[in-house]
Amino acid sequence: MIKKSRKVRDYKALTKALPSQRYVDPESVYIHLQNGRCKTYELNVTPGQHVKLGEVIGTRFGGFFEQPIHATISGVVGEVSKKFHRTGRKVDCVEIRNDFKDTYHESIVDRPDHIIEEFTQDDFVEIVKSKSLVGLGGSGFPTYIKLATKDKIDTVVINAVECEPYLSSDYRLILEHPGRVITGLKYIMQALGTKKGMIAIKSEKDPLYQVLTQVLNVRFPELDVEVVKLGNHYPQGWEIEMFRWALNIDIPHGVLPMKYGVIGFNVSTAAGVFDAVKHNLPVVKRYFTLTGDAIKFPQNYRVRVGASVRELIKLSDGYKDGLDELLVVMGGPMMGTSMTSDDVIVSKTTTSVIILKNVEYKEEPCVRCGSCVYSCPVRIEPVQIMNAVKRNDKEVMKGLEAFKCIECGLCTYVCTSKIHVTDYVRKAKKLIG
Amino acid sequence: MNVANPKILRKTSPYLRRPNANVSRMMSDVTIALLPVTIFSIYSFHWSAVLIIALSILSMVVTEYVYYQVQDLLDGEKFKLKNKSYTLYNFSVVTSGLIYALTLPDQTPWFVVVIGGALGIFLAKLIFGGMGQNVFNPAALARVLVVIIYITHTSYTQHVVLIDGNAGATALQIASNNPFSIEALQTYSFSNLLIGTNLPGSLGEVSAILLILGGVYLAIRNSFEVRIPLAMVGTVAILSFAVGVFIDVHPLEYMLFHVLSGGLLFGAIFMATDPITSPITKPGRIAAGFMMGFITFIIRIFGAYPEGVVFSILIMNMFVSSFDYHKWTNSQFSRKRVLWFSIVVLVSIAVTLVGVYYAK
Repeated sequence: MIKKSRKVRDYKALTKALPSQRYVDPESVYIHLQNGRCKTYELNVTPGQHVKLGEVIGTRFGGFFEQPIHATISGVVGEVSKKFHRTGRKVDCVEIRNDFKDTYHESIVDRPDHIIEEFTQDDFVEIVKSKSLVGLGGSGFPTYIKLATKDKIDTVVINAVECEPYLSSDYRLILEHPGRVITGLKYIMQALGTKKGMIAIKSEKDPLYQVLTQVLNVRFPELDVEVVKLGNHYPQGWEIEMFRWALNIDIPHGVLPMKYGVIGFNVSTAAGVFDAVKHNLPVVKRYFTLTGDAIKFPQNYRVRVGASVRELIKLSDGYKDGLDELLVVMGGPMMGTSMTSDDVIVSKTTTSVIILKNVEYKEEPCVRCGSCVYSCPVRIEPVQIMNAVKRNDKEVMKGLEAFKCIECGLCTYVCTSKIHVTDYVRKAKKLIG
Repeated sequence: MNVANPKILRKTSPYLRRPNANVSRMMSDVTIALLPVTIFSIYSFHWSAVLIIALSILSMVVTEYVYYQVQDLLDGEKFKLKNKSYTLYNFSVVTSGLIYALTLPDQTPWFVVVIGGALGIFLAKLIFGGMGQNVFNPAALARVLVVIIYITHTSYTQHVVLIDGNAGATALQIASNNPFSIEALQTYSFSNLLIGTNLPGSLGEVSAILLILGGVYLAIRNSFEVRIPLAMVGTVAILSFAVGVFIDVHPLEYMLFHVLSGGLLFGAIFMATDPITSPITKPGRIAAGFMMGFITFIIRIFGAYPEGVVFSILIMNMFVSSFDYHKWTNSQFSRKRVLWFSIVVLVSIAVTLVGVYYAK
């Protein structure tokens, strides 16, 4: 198959139409104290102490920022233990045993609209920072740094493309809470002093288009927000690709989109901005998809941050019978991390867990069909990089610009010979890194 | 709840693969695309065609099979019918064998077929490391070996044969004696060249329409890069049209004659497009197709051989790695590259016309 192929079979029909099941009262939640960006932390509570929902229980320290850690539930603090995090590593997690009262911390009070209207960029940045909001699509990049940009922003784009197969959590979020998303967008636009907003969706997700335009027309007639339908390509959820299709701007490698007057936020992040600004609430619940071809009942969940995936798997009636081997993938099946155990917690950046049957693909010799070269979204030549890795030729790897790779996985997906090309390119990135 | 405890494996992303994409499909598609041509050659040449096709496929398949058996035995593996490096399942060698057979003239003696096939697959593919590693197209190399080593057996004029009651050299051979006339067209009409009945020539090269049919099938199935044959045939068409205008024969007829006769269509559709021996990027593939067309045409009108397709394919095979050199390879078209490419095309036309001016 010699073909430029950016269509990935999406399997979303498994969960797309299902309403989100609420699972917001687990016995206990585990709040991870470290994450991919923050290695050190400070915990201000002791086991046995009672905490309220939204209370600050500690601080995570990243390289150039720090973020407060919030309790996502009211209850009693338990021990610190090691649990798997979305990144595939074991991190320290503090347990909070639920008292099922949901007592809110004193600081969690709604802000009246007329006060919010007076807010400046700095006010928004301060709120978002204090609620430790990060990119909820999976990047985990602190949102306040993005919001504090000094560049002139012309367009704010909300990324609702969700191009990964299987995932439907963003889809459900928009369907069920379009108002929160749009209000979040409104706040972001206000913070950045931007007049124009955009919500990018896939063209096949027509229900989203109808919901969003309906809400925009009725509730926010004064907002200049356009809902744009992009094609059904993968990886359109990648910001740069999204800007290319939605706004026709080509952003070169290594340049921040802000320099081009555009900025992108994930849908969940927009909803998070709304919660933080309006309700002064950190991210305590999120939309979550538990799906895959090896789970009995794929389902969307509205889940408390810190809940255990194992519990959720039980709720979905467990794995399908008769399977010896399976994969537990955090995030999408194209870019997600494979876990060695299902003892994982839902962090606020976890969009989904996908349980897949293990399929061993038989690799054949490369026939140089060129599908990977044709399909690559960053326009590098994966197969040549692979050959350079086999020869350990770093000069060629640099010459072929392996560092541009975003690890979207498309080269492996399209490969005629079922070679794991992405892995080689990853190696190349590390070697020349 | 029954707690089955499946083993949880760790892999790296992505976890999905494109359905319906595999090498065997790609290679068997080429075989399927060749079927009409094959059937037609059997219809025209009867048993000699059957013999040649069977022998060439067999010689290549057996050579590859034995090679890998020997290799495995040398590695200390136990003998098994389907050994460790068993490769025949992916159709690639069957495809090579069929292509090789269809490039041969119908009177090729059986030992020539066998030796050419065995040596071709061995020298072009196996010693380079098998599928995916070969620098040269095995079928093309086998064909050239036959031409060079057994030239007396394969030239048509020495064995004037009766084929469907029509004796004679191929259209190109007539043209080769005097490349700047359309004398051949008086012998063979266009419909004749197009359909291929009553034409002498190699087994699979005679029926243009069936070759194009095969190409269309491959294009629909995405099993080859359609830009290579388009570039190659297009180049020959442009050059022959230019020469036709220059020497003042009917340019359109002269062009059609060059495009339809000889092994151009066959080579362009089935040999030049072998992905293993073509550059990896779209611009590279187009450039390679152009160069193949250019060399083919140069050999046809200036060279000693009536046919230049296999030579041009082999020559360009050597340059594949320089097309893909990391300092200038680029998978995208840019205005600058298109400009340079157009300049090269214009220069090549000029060079051809200058050559024609002196050769005339």
